[in-house]
Amino acid sequence: MKNKAYISQAVIWIVLIALLLICSVPFLFMITNSFGEFTYVLPSPPKLFPDKIQFAAYQYIISLPIFNIAVINSVVNTLIASVFVIFVSTLSAYGFAKIDFIGRENIFKLYIFTLMMPGFLNIIPQFITLKNMPLEIFGLENGLISTRAGLILIYVATSICGNTFFLRNFFRALPKELSESVFMDGGGHRTIFFKIILPLSKPSIGTLMIFSIQGLWEEYFTAKVLVGSNETMITLPLLLQRLNGQYSTRWEWVFAASLMALIPVIIIFLVFQKNMVVGGVASDSVKE
Amino acid sequence: MSKRTVKKNLNGIGTALPFVLPGLILVGIFVLYPMLFTIRISFSNYQIVQGTITFTGLDNFISIFTDTSGRFWYALRNNFLYAAITTPCIIMGGLVTAFLVNNLKKGQMVFRLGFYLPVITSWVIVGLVFKYMFNSSDRGLINYLLVDVFHLTDHYIPWLLQEWSGNAAIWIMGIWKNIGWAMLIFLAALQGISPNLYEAAKLDGANKFHEFRYITIPMVKATIFFVMVNMMIGSFNVFIQVMLLTEGKPNGRTSVLQYLLYDKAFKQFKFGEASSIGMFTAVTVLIITGVLNKIFHLEKTEEGES
Repeated sequence: MKNKAYISQAVIWIVLIALLLICSVPFLFMITNSFGEFTYVLPSPPKLFPDKIQFAAYQYIISLPIFNIAVINSVVNTLIASVFVIFVSTLSAYGFAKIDFIGRENIFKLYIFTLMMPGFLNIIPQFITLKNMPLEIFGLENGLISTRAGLILIYVATSICGNTFFLRNFFRALPKELSESVFMDGGGHRTIFFKIILPLSKPSIGTLMIFSIQGLWEEYFTAKVLVGSNETMITLPLLLQRLNGQYSTRWEWVFAASLMALIPVIIIFLVFQKNMVVGGVASDSVKE
Repeated sequence: MSKRTVKKNLNGIGTALPFVLPGLILVGIFVLYPMLFTIRISFSNYQIVQGTITFTGLDNFISIFTDTSGRFWYALRNNFLYAAITTPCIIMGGLVTAFLVNNLKKGQMVFRLGFYLPVITSWVIVGLVFKYMFNSSDRGLINYLLVDVFHLTDHYIPWLLQEWSGNAAIWIMGIWKNIGWAMLIFLAALQGISPNLYEAAKLDGANKFHEFRYITIPMVKATIFFVMVNMMIGSFNVFIQVMLLTEGKPNGRTSVLQYLLYDKAFKQFKFGEASSIGMFTAVTVLIITGVLNKIFHLEKTEEGES
């Protein structure tokens, strides 16, 4: 019996390793080529495993001042935007889940509808609105275009609907006895929100935070349109695309930079994945 | 409505405002207003430089539907094909890997991260690598394997320049990027299944395959539906793969609606037609989710307090 268990474990391992190897081909390829040194053309025949390991490309990328600017911008934008998104969405989701008001269902349906509409056409009216903001007194003649504040504002606004939708389901599932006891003691919605809902929803809020960080970290299109013309506001995805070059590409630089850009998201995933709640499935924080 | 409920509802608005208002303002200015703008533009001729908007009725829709190159219809066909091909592959792939990983006693972490890596890798990077793998010449990894290693054919295939091989590359990239996401969600669902069920099955002499077929699949039906809806909606938002890999070549045969929209808006500056494609996509997605809900009878029952 025990042998049988070992064999089945071994079979699972072998199958999984085989699957993982197939899935990893693009990464093997990137890693191998990030160690190479070539001028604008990749080696032929293609290599999946490096002959020798050298870090010249990594050293070059790290030494670029613009790489450091891009890293700082990406970190700052991602963190600020994620915190704001989660804060605003948690508030909204509570309102839609636990407070009865006229038009609630209709407004919420509108939120869901916006999720189905392809988002990137919105960039034109968004751009115009940001540009027309009357901020001349602050010396901003183009409104919030080419500014960090403008980019973060759009990031936050466009993420609210999806996150509100996700969190509302969680909040609705929390038993109403919890809030009733607060009402009995004379507390209001604010007490319920801060003292009960937030602590109980830590796993789901954390999960959203991670998804939000991952999504914003790799965001390209909005950043390109809104801050693409401002060198000091460059983000990592914009830099990667630029390294890729219009006519010629130093592939080892692109791959080295890409792999370094991956490290933060990998670390976040490794640290938090145990506590992640996905698809509204696992929620054992409340016992009925 | 009686006086009392009116009063209660007004009170409701008062209490709800501090919670809902910040989100509502931002969504109103940066999401709803742009959406209304898009809807308006889809029925108009919009000149972005002069800023003039003239109402033209259904002209934009008629012009995309009747375009002689048939680009719109090829794009629509490709969206449906993408959904029909990648969704089952992602669900099966995600479910099988989740089942296997869940059955591991040690080392789950390695595979969780390994399969999830494609999900967190930026599309820009993934696009570059895939473009290189499917390169038309002997430098492409796939051509190299097919021709020089396994000698399956003797000429190099121009993967990204032909209708069906180009589409296949787009599908493969989509499947590869999304399996990890599906796996993570199925893993969470699997961990919610009571171990007693598996114990009972084992006593009845079931093997791993029986367990998978008769316990796992039925128990995660709701999750399968969740993944399916997400992937279906995602299928109509496919864009980056096409832009990075084929740009719709040849002649829009590998294009999709969102790429067509992008092309119309940001290359040809025909914002009216682009907006009407956007509208068309939104309505299509709405219908598909509605139909899926009906088929699976899984319409979420409104529970909990209100």
